[in-house]
Amino acid sequence: MSQKDTGSKWNLTPQGWNLEGVPAYQDQTRYTQVGRSVPRVDAPAKVKGEAVYTGDMTLPGMAYGKIKRSPYAHAILKKIDISKAQELPGVLAVLTGAEAPNRWGIVPQTANETVLALDKVRFYGEGVAAVAAIDEETAEEALDLIEVEYEPLPVLLDPFESMERAHEVLIHEDSPGNIMHQGEQVYGDVDKAFSECAYVLEREFHTNYPQHGFLEPHTALASYDPQSGQMHVWSSTQVPHYLHRQLSIVLEIPMNKIRVTLPTIGGGFGGKGEASSAEFAACLLSRKIGRPVRVTYERSEVFYTNKGRHPAHMKLKMGLDQDGYIKAVDFDNTMDKGAYSGWGVVVLFYTASMMHLPYKVPNVRFRGRSVYTNKPSTGAMRGLGGVQPRFAMECLLDELAEMMGVSPYELKMKNAIESGHTAVNNMFVPHSEYKKCLQTAVEKSGYLEKRGRLPFGKGIGMAGGYYISGTAYTLYQNYKPHTSVMIRVDTEAGVTLFCAAADIGQGSNTVMAQMAAEELGVFYEDVHVQAGDTEIGAFDLGSFASRLTYASGAAIKMACVEINQKLKETAAGMLGVRADQLVIKKREIYSMYETKKRLPWEKAVEAYTSINGSLVGLGNFSPPRRKGIDMISGNRVQGANIGHSPTYGFSCQVHEVEVDVETGRIYVKKVTEAGDCGTPVNPMSVEGQVEGSILFNIGGCLYEDQKLDASGKHLNPNFHDYKMPTMMEMPEMDTNIVESYDPTAPFGVKETGEGAVQPTFPALVNAIYDAIGVRFYSLPITPEMILKALKEKKEKEG
Amino acid sequence: MVMNHFEYFAPRTPAETLELLGRFGSKAKILAGGTDLMILMKNRAIQPECVIDINQVQDFRTIMCEPGQGAVIGTNVKLAEIQFSEALQAKYPALSYAAGEVGSAQVRHMASLGGNTCNASPAAETPTPLAALGTKVVLSSQSGDRELPLEQFITGVRQLGLNEGEMLTRFILPEPAPRSACRYAYMGRRDAMEIDSVNMAVNLELQPDGETIRNIKLVMGSVYPRPLVSQEVPALLNGQRLIDELIETAAAAAQGEAKPIDDIRATAEYRREIVKVLARRLIQETYAAAKGV
Repeated sequence: MSQKDTGSKWNLTPQGWNLEGVPAYQDQTRYTQVGRSVPRVDAPAKVKGEAVYTGDMTLPGMAYGKIKRSPYAHAILKKIDISKAQELPGVLAVLTGAEAPNRWGIVPQTANETVLALDKVRFYGEGVAAVAAIDEETAEEALDLIEVEYEPLPVLLDPFESMERAHEVLIHEDSPGNIMHQGEQVYGDVDKAFSECAYVLEREFHTNYPQHGFLEPHTALASYDPQSGQMHVWSSTQVPHYLHRQLSIVLEIPMNKIRVTLPTIGGGFGGKGEASSAEFAACLLSRKIGRPVRVTYERSEVFYTNKGRHPAHMKLKMGLDQDGYIKAVDFDNTMDKGAYSGWGVVVLFYTASMMHLPYKVPNVRFRGRSVYTNKPSTGAMRGLGGVQPRFAMECLLDELAEMMGVSPYELKMKNAIESGHTAVNNMFVPHSEYKKCLQTAVEKSGYLEKRGRLPFGKGIGMAGGYYISGTAYTLYQNYKPHTSVMIRVDTEAGVTLFCAAADIGQGSNTVMAQMAAEELGVFYEDVHVQAGDTEIGAFDLGSFASRLTYASGAAIKMACVEINQKLKETAAGMLGVRADQLVIKKREIYSMYETKKRLPWEKAVEAYTSINGSLVGLGNFSPPRRKGIDMISGNRVQGANIGHSPTYGFSCQVHEVEVDVETGRIYVKKVTEAGDCGTPVNPMSVEGQVEGSILFNIGGCLYEDQKLDASGKHLNPNFHDYKMPTMMEMPEMDTNIVESYDPTAPFGVKETGEGAVQPTFPALVNAIYDAIGVRFYSLPITPEMILKALKEKKEKEG
Repeated sequence: MVMNHFEYFAPRTPAETLELLGRFGSKAKILAGGTDLMILMKNRAIQPECVIDINQVQDFRTIMCEPGQGAVIGTNVKLAEIQFSEALQAKYPALSYAAGEVGSAQVRHMASLGGNTCNASPAAETPTPLAALGTKVVLSSQSGDRELPLEQFITGVRQLGLNEGEMLTRFILPEPAPRSACRYAYMGRRDAMEIDSVNMAVNLELQPDGETIRNIKLVMGSVYPRPLVSQEVPALLNGQRLIDELIETAAAAAQGEAKPIDDIRATAEYRREIVKVLARRLIQETYAAAKGV
């Protein structure tokens, strides 16, 4: 434990930066633990290979579960015969869909998945039966003995075909037109605004079908105790609470009889943002046999059941006045939902909300539909709902800038929002340093000097973006706080923070420790975090929507109030000063006016606890909401349901590429990024998030695409054929954290885990345009597409 | 993903190995690195009755690379050893480079040169430069050894010219001719963990004038069921000094010979395009290297 290293290289304060030498009475607001670059708490165990993932766990008597999967993408389940499998020695139980028919789904209004298929299968690899056996070998053998009779149905893989052929075949009986959900949002008078525009452009954009690529496959270990009726589930999930809730619905057990525990999680990126059949199957099989059961997916099963990014087919029209101010946006979006609804409604309306930021847009129309197809369900994936429309909007702005004869930078700066902006859909942005992001990335990269001036084959492109720092609502009707934090202080464990938050590798346990240390006036190394357990930790909604730093920060601040007050009162008596004049900093309590009057923090803890026992503080966080009845006008407020957030992160990326015009290969040489993440709690972690985000979507833009044959069977369900970029494809990175402090946020924080994926697609596409003079509207951009486009260009010009 | 039951043997000498092979023949599979074999077995693509692990056989692990005497490389020499061997790097840079492009670092420390050939994947990296270098494989059985040029040993996708009871025991590489060079190039979507959409090696020897091509061998990978040795390129270039039009003609000839297919990695059309680009670049590069430029 290092107590000497107290310096934060950021020296952050709410009043400004670099306030060395400020008087002691301002110490309370000068951060020493927040803004400190510290290695993650979980890093040593992971580096040494000692971290325990669910798949590493074995319990005494544990059985192995496996799922039998459909070889058809769309078929009626005529008959399942499990008798031969049941007779195989070593088989402990066989499970079919009929035994757990309750529908689950993260959005309760559209919940339509079952643990195993009931009457029909809707995608290739959907589970039809599950087996528990004494070992994996027997379980696999048993799967082969399960006889299933299918009646194949037409397979619909394209959302437009799916809508057209809906009269002939429905994927879900209760969804006419094969449409999961459709909606329209109109703000202002869009048609009138377009008629007054000097520049109007409309384009179609198509995005691809990438998935998350986390390393640890879905795994769940369930242990049911028939005596107490208690179910304990260890799982690789990023939403312990939503999993907990779905388990209660499917198992028909009250939540207080289910405990969800998260061992180390090997990444999620949204792909573990819903329950999976692994979890349900493990629980149901364990309950059937009264022994622990573990289900670990193969990589191919992760692909079959993945909930990757929605392919989006977008028409975007944008109008500017003669000065270049955006006047109107008309956005039409058809999303490929895959087989089940999952996050669908939420993602659809997130794409709608993306039109409203980070530019001022007075008139907006959105029409969208999410359409069922016979593919794995699409779902939450890093920056959900943002990445596709951001690609369209930032590319279109570049084209409009060219039309006007100005630089894209000028156009984007002109329209960029500022702090205190309210969008027409009622989204409110308390704080923004977006312009500073644009300026920093453009200046540091030399964008203005290089654009249009590099030799053929080399190019530079820019794009901006934003993302939410949490949401306004839970996914089911409820107004409870989104995060609760309990902090215990005593002489035995020091400081222990209890919260059921999920650290899936994004580093939330580390930043929670930093924020708690900051608020309590101790060191980051002093704080123990007990997270990822619904029984030990206080309530948290989960790791999605980039919500956790903000939400847990607010709850931590509240939890510390009572603790600090009691310790100050105790110390006040010991020091003979007023409690309200005491400051706690760096594990010392001292008077802000008579700094010689001081005592070690532990002494006050010892004094307090020896009289009262352990000191406990509880805090929680409820997000501000922007929907309901306007108190003054009495009108119902339209909008700002999906898309609203306590605050927003912003960023800008400039990509420099080299295109090998003979082979079509694109080399991303350098990325200059500038991000407004508010106060960087752990700058080292921010850099990691940002660099990871950029490579993540370089993958989505240039490499990654799930391919299915005409029958819906996967052609690349492995990391050999599903290409993700490797370290060799990592460009030189210049990431910059711009000076930012959101005064409305705890410690001034914002998100950084999903905002930095937003500008990557359009920045790259704009850079490729600068390099070879060809604009791409479909992703991923493959070497073959480059060669074809260059050939066409040559024929046109020649 | 669970393998079938099989009998496992771990012989210590070549003689023991060949004795086991003689006994089990095609029922047995040789386990060297296992980086291809284990995947095939786990996917149940093959279910051998017996697995002969040759990792205890020291004779299969040796590299002999003395000045002026070519090289003899044991079948179970790891690709990482070929990648990092200074002697091989100096004499056969194309082979070391190709070995270093196989899979990942972890894979290269497991996988063997013999395995990379015997897996007989059209997209394999090392058979291409081995063929360009004029490598012969030694096929051993209890009844003795025979030699075969590598390009005749690989007969098709996952097909080898092996007789019952025979195995590949070593590679014999001829000493590079004076005024010659061999180079390797590949094309794929990324630069690590990649299965090439096209790879190619060119071995080029100049006449004493240091300008005229005495002999060129161009071998293509991933565009034919086995390493494809160009017939037309030597016909066009042997006895010629290299000028730009000739390079274009030769590259187009190689392109015409390639018989690629469409698959998940690339279309046939793209592969043909790349054959031409790689051929042009590689002939230029190798010519310059042979000239000592």
